[in-house]
Amino acid sequence: MRPAGRPNRFLFLIVALGLCSGLMLLGMAGLLAPVEGLASAPLHGFSGALNRLSLTLNQAFEELNSLGQLRERIASLEELLASRQIEIIQLREAASDYDRLVDLLSYTNTLENQEFLTADVIALDQSGIVRGLIINRGARDGVGIGMPVVTDLGLVGRIVGLSANAAQVQLINDENSSVSARLQTTRAEGSIIGQASGALRMTFIDLDESIIQGDLVITSGLGGNFPPDIVVGQVTSIRQFEFELFQEAEVRSLIDLGLLEFVLVITSFQPIDLSVFDDSAGG
Amino acid sequence: MGRYLSIPILGLAAALSAGVMPHMIGFAVAVLSDLTPILEHTRGQLNLGLLLVMTWAIRASLTESLIWAFAGGIFMDLLSILPLGTSSFALVLIAFAVSAVSHQLYRVRLISLLLMTILSTIFFQFFTYQMLTLLGHSYHLPSLVRLVMLPTLVYHLVMVLPVAGLVRLMQNRLEGGLQRAPSVLPGTGESL
Repeated sequence: MRPAGRPNRFLFLIVALGLCSGLMLLGMAGLLAPVEGLASAPLHGFSGALNRLSLTLNQAFEELNSLGQLRERIASLEELLASRQIEIIQLREAASDYDRLVDLLSYTNTLENQEFLTADVIALDQSGIVRGLIINRGARDGVGIGMPVVTDLGLVGRIVGLSANAAQVQLINDENSSVSARLQTTRAEGSIIGQASGALRMTFIDLDESIIQGDLVITSGLGGNFPPDIVVGQVTSIRQFEFELFQEAEVRSLIDLGLLEFVLVITSFQPIDLSVFDDSAGG
Repeated sequence: MGRYLSIPILGLAAALSAGVMPHMIGFAVAVLSDLTPILEHTRGQLNLGLLLVMTWAIRASLTESLIWAFAGGIFMDLLSILPLGTSSFALVLIAFAVSAVSHQLYRVRLISLLLMTILSTIFFQFFTYQMLTLLGHSYHLPSLVRLVMLPTLVYHLVMVLPVAGLVRLMQNRLEGGLQRAPSVLPGTGESL
């Protein structure tokens, strides 16, 4: 028999679980957002400092580890640079032709009018299940849910969570991420979906379309979740089976998504909610 | 009360788990995957908060263990996509189970510690997976088990001993400090 006055173990457990459940419900309803923002501010600052330090050390170790490979790489890049310089001259010619044609058509490139906000990466998701990161810009800086996150090399992901001074980013290689994309050369449409291994796969490409290995994959803008013409990656291999309705391509992002230090949030882009058309069509 | 002052360590652990550990593990995996291709594409993470809460619960009282679990979970959720309180819920259950089991044992030996680590890690990972599923995310479970859960379990089994040693050291220091506290109010000669 339990002695009188000794607290019941299960009572403690039930109180603690009740408290956690209450917090979860309040958090999911969004009522804790201001408190969460306030409480997480010092933790985000500290985690950001640790993240930067760790990235610097990591890069230093990697450079030491692959010094020989780097030398070979520099030599091959120098060769590549020489050939690219010739291409640049040709492209400049083409660009000037393009500019003239654009002026004629009064066409405005959407990307030129975008507004960007620079953000530091302060933490990576620690569960391992979700592929995401936290940046040091939030609602206070004008960041909103659904805004695309990019670097100068291409698409990183989109904002899925928000507090006053921080935001959670779902990376494009998360299994729940889907990006409407097209191949730059053949203009074939498809969807970029994250894989469990962290790779990217372009799916739903029509069997009639041709896919070129090494071709660049860019966002198509279909679905209204991302602006068009942002680089997603490069085709590394093609999967085509006669018994399947679509063909697929393995895509490699040009960005090392695990080693991001800074990102850009496209604050001028507002994702379009197309579900209203589904509702009106249905009823 | 002195024992609760060490709770900020859980905040440090959460920041380390989110800011430093992914890079360290990523680097180690990149280096080792040349030798063992099985490690390629794995993305297990070392959850220091979980290990600290679990090892703290072995010797601490139930109330203290539950408070540590609650605080540890809050710190973890502040740096994660999960709603606040989710990790606390799982950690509270783990702390309760560990506390109940370890108080039944004469001494927690290595094998018991490793067993607790295995069960706690599996429970925590599946709980997180279930919560993400409830929130509308969908993940391919067999791939998750192979690429996330098993590597995480291995990292936890490797790191649980140093963490348990650190926690034991801290608890000994705190116990020593509490025992050495003056039994007489300074300057008054009155007994406490």
